[in-house]
Amino acid sequence: MTKLLELKEISLYHKDNFRVKNINLIVNQGEKIAIVGKSGAGKSTLISIANGSILPSEGDVIWKGQSINNLRKREYSNIGTIWQDLSLIDELNVGQNINCGALGKHGFLWALKNLVGIIDKELCKECLAAVGLPEKSIYSYISKLSGGQKKRIAIARLLRQEPEIALADEPFSNLDPLLSENILDLLINNKNYFNIQIPKTLIISLHQLNLLNKFNRVIGIKEGEIVIDSSINDLKPSQIDWIF
Amino acid sequence: MKLIKPVAPLLIFIPLIAYIPISIEIIKEFHIGGINIIFQFITSAIKPSLNILVVRSAWEGLQITIAAALTSWVISMFIGIFLGVLSTDLFWKSMPNFSFLGKFIKYSLAVPRSIHEVIWGILFIQIFGLNIWVAIISIVVPYSAITARVISEQLDSFDIQPLIALQQTGANSMSSFITILFPKLMPILSNYGSYRLECAIRGATLLGIFGLGGIGTELYLTLKSMEFREMWTCLWMLWFVIISLEKLIRFIRTNFYSNIDFKKSILTTISILFSSLLIGIIWLYGLSYDIFTPPTYTYLIWPSFLEIRQAFYDLPLLNLIITTISITFLASGIAIGTPPLLLIFFPNKISLRMQSIIWVFFRLIPPPLTTIIILLFTIPNISVAALSLGITHMGVMGRLLTDSIFNQKKDIYQAIKSNGSSRRSATLYGLLSPKSNSYLAYGSYRSDVILKETAIIGAVGGVGLGWQLQESLSSFDWAQVIVVTCIFSLLTISGEFLFYTSQNYWLRNSTNNFII
Repeated sequence: MTKLLELKEISLYHKDNFRVKNINLIVNQGEKIAIVGKSGAGKSTLISIANGSILPSEGDVIWKGQSINNLRKREYSNIGTIWQDLSLIDELNVGQNINCGALGKHGFLWALKNLVGIIDKELCKECLAAVGLPEKSIYSYISKLSGGQKKRIAIARLLRQEPEIALADEPFSNLDPLLSENILDLLINNKNYFNIQIPKTLIISLHQLNLLNKFNRVIGIKEGEIVIDSSINDLKPSQIDWIF
Repeated sequence: MKLIKPVAPLLIFIPLIAYIPISIEIIKEFHIGGINIIFQFITSAIKPSLNILVVRSAWEGLQITIAAALTSWVISMFIGIFLGVLSTDLFWKSMPNFSFLGKFIKYSLAVPRSIHEVIWGILFIQIFGLNIWVAIISIVVPYSAITARVISEQLDSFDIQPLIALQQTGANSMSSFITILFPKLMPILSNYGSYRLECAIRGATLLGIFGLGGIGTELYLTLKSMEFREMWTCLWMLWFVIISLEKLIRFIRTNFYSNIDFKKSILTTISILFSSLLIGIIWLYGLSYDIFTPPTYTYLIWPSFLEIRQAFYDLPLLNLIITTISITFLASGIAIGTPPLLLIFFPNKISLRMQSIIWVFFRLIPPPLTTIIILLFTIPNISVAALSLGITHMGVMGRLLTDSIFNQKKDIYQAIKSNGSSRRSATLYGLLSPKSNSYLAYGSYRSDVILKETAIIGAVGGVGLGWQLQESLSSFDWAQVIVVTCIFSLLTISGEFLFYTSQNYWLRNSTNNFII
């Protein structure tokens, strides 16, 4: 299997307080990894370090054999993230927000054009359809949407980015169980009914333990340290209980 | 690509269209002769005159400006608070039979605040002659009305449920009103009051340009005699005062207002206001101003109704109104559109710091002086007036924008950057877009200020109602003065309503506070 992302002896601390401690993790292409742990265990920090937006105090993040700090801007577009706070722009409509996912693949002029009118509308509509939202919602404003709808827009934005790896920080927290399962199916089984390329490698932090069986590897975090790294088949319920 | 309803982040750039007509007109009338002088003006910034006589003269002017500003600020705050409270709906809730009085005060205040302090100054000079009280009263009249409006709006925006609850316990109307009102009033006074002090210093400087003494007069005289190095001595000293004032206000807010109880905050506010008034008056007295003698009234021969009617028909009012509105829109375009454009072109941290410093200088030079500088290479026209006003207000908008960007949460910016976007795109989407609604709301407020300032810029730039007013005053044609002042007042009241409506529209959609 091709090694895609590697977290090498990662620690992050502020003064004497560790957020994450001595993390070693290798993510291979095609792996579907669930990260579990209590709130505040360090899941979000780990995701932010993995996508390069937080620099660790110690250690290095390696993307395809190269330190993430040395990547060219464009190469970052291969790493997609769904943020816990979603980071959507209320001042823009749904289509323009979805296109934000593709900003890394285009220049500034494209970014300006997207403010004038929605670019690549068909692709945006496909992303919307993939997350179960109607086409007409492309013109809706983010501020008018419900929490669950916003979450789906954030997922659609990730799909629009077409990254090689998707990092998602609790993407299903406001979604109903059926929709969570549908979206997870789309991401995990690569049920690609659309023209958009679904990321083949996933790292998702989540609290819905009933969804764990969809993944092939589970990482458990407790107090900033990885305490479980197991395939789904070898995972014992007692291990999960211990984490929570 | 289908065009959609323009989104706020796009709308902040649309005002830049103003540059097209302005550039065309300025280039058309451009003459090369003045460029050398402009170059001298710019280079003088780095070598201001350090001659002891110049510094002493500038310092004396500065003292007059600060003392006059302090005195007028305190007086306008007291009057503004009093009238502001009286014009709230909240106050009259306990005396519903007299609520018409509140409405009457509220609407009457529209007139004094619609006329710029410089126009009041020019009018009062004719009546009371050259006197320091003229400068003080000219600031007090509009500032009291503006403060009253802000206080009444802020107080009326609060929930009245606690007042009802308190009255239901049997508390009398006045004591329940005071109990509810005072804690709400203190934060408004500490935030808005300090902003008005800065405005008062600018106002006093402007009045100086129109002959009422102080640093403004020094600036005007040095510019007129093309002593740019001396002018920069004054500008640098003024800059130092404004920056020190900003720091002092921040220090007072952090150390005297945060985490203190209500009683202490009242005592602090009262102490600041009374000590400022005392300092202002003693300072002016120390500068040999005869401040305890009331100004003498010069009897004016008021025009008859027929004369006023004749003036109304004689003046090219439609043309003057259109010119004034054009100046407002063009200047607003420059003021609102330029700072975001610069931010996008130079989005890194160092250039943001640089921009923040540059904006201070743009707003430092009073617009009438900018007009005179621009007139060195072109002739008086709408574009000159618009550019002068635009440059000053661009400084205000730019400084606020860069400051608010520094203090903004960077979540969206980081999220966009993490997907490989360029810094420019991330700045546009992650920093500017979340601020766009509140930026446009503040832009609407600025446009209202610009409309009022067209009066002073017109007087120097030779266009619009301001110029006509100056002409009419110079020829002592009081009928024309009355007509022009009334028309200008009506125009600014309408503008205030329109810009206020637009400001509220943008604020309703805003997710981020622009003013921090």
